[in-house]
Amino acid sequence: MHEMSIAINIVSIARKEAEKESAPSISMIELEVGKLAGVMVDSLQFCYEAACKGTLAEGSELQIIELEGQAKCMQCGNVFTIDSFMAICPKCDTYEIEIIQGKELRLKAISINEEGSSHV
Amino acid sequence: MCDTCGCGSNSTTFTKHGEKEHHHGDGHHHDHDHDHGHNHDHSHEHDHSTHTHGRTIEVEQDVLGENNLLAQRNRGYFEAKNIFALNLVSSPGSGKTTLLEKTLVELQDVPSAVIEGDQQTMNDADRVAATGVPVLQINTGNGCHLDANMIHTAYGELELKNDSVLFIENVGNLVCPALFDLGENKRVVIISVTEGEDKPAKYPTMFDAADICIINKIDLLPYVEFDVARCKEHALKVNHQLEFFELSATTGEGMDTWLSWLRDNLK
Repeated sequence: MHEMSIAINIVSIARKEAEKESAPSISMIELEVGKLAGVMVDSLQFCYEAACKGTLAEGSELQIIELEGQAKCMQCGNVFTIDSFMAICPKCDTYEIEIIQGKELRLKAISINEEGSSHV
Repeated sequence: MCDTCGCGSNSTTFTKHGEKEHHHGDGHHHDHDHDHGHNHDHSHEHDHSTHTHGRTIEVEQDVLGENNLLAQRNRGYFEAKNIFALNLVSSPGSGKTTLLEKTLVELQDVPSAVIEGDQQTMNDADRVAATGVPVLQINTGNGCHLDANMIHTAYGELELKNDSVLFIENVGNLVCPALFDLGENKRVVIISVTEGEDKPAKYPTMFDAADICIINKIDLLPYVEFDVARCKEHALKVNHQLEFFELSATTGEGMDTWLSWLRDNLK
């Protein structure tokens, strides 16, 4: 269940960013997850809620943007979409490919709440 | 909570073989204060009372960035001391510890050290210690993998020698350790012939992240339905750069090739 330690990392990064802005709370965290990142999105959502408890992010939403896998053929240079590590270049039938997208696990942005003050 | 002493802080414990006391990792808290002195002056001309409003901040940070940074620090330390560090990963029961014991016995002329990772017990550290090699046991408690920070704490205690080899035996788990760089030179995935030959296809993330694949327990091949060629085929489809060793740590068959590869890398 490495999703729990990943969820804790996400909340920790978000908390530091929110503290820099003196925000009282975080309402949303936007995360990019590649389809080949080795992370189960459902499991991550479940762990996220637990990781947020008692932090600035309690009650916040985790918005996950899934990124599809992309590979570049090392033989012919063809760039194509993949949905698993066992992918073949459709042009030259080789497994000699380099994965160029799909392993991301990146915290894109956070939405923070800010307290406005009463003034005229 | 720590299962040994009941303290509530960090559940990971570090124990040197032969010592009764263990301690908990300090967890490296870097609390930098970033005071940028932003002035968010609102000069609206309208009337409003206290309220909250939202704002989005671009972060663009790798979630595993802190681990990766620490792993690079470990890598720099190993490089400076000319330490060849290996991260051994596999499912439980592949024969990692037996392979390690046999390797250490054969490599007695080379200074070595071992970091053992398990959720519980000192059993593996005790087995390794019997070879005379310094060993530190990390018990992760409920944790399913080692991370770069644990390795940093562990080698600090082991007092690694220059021009040596460091074997890190990760927690037996073919899923989670794949994501955590420890700063090793090579990641070695071990699969035994009593497992399914399609394991590389079932757990591709780990085989993708590995450099070396050891197929262990080949002495049992006559008794099991395991096609070595097909297993390699599956693994190469996932990672065409994998290098293979076929061996039996128990009988010693194939150990020579593995040992000479190790020696070649120690130069």
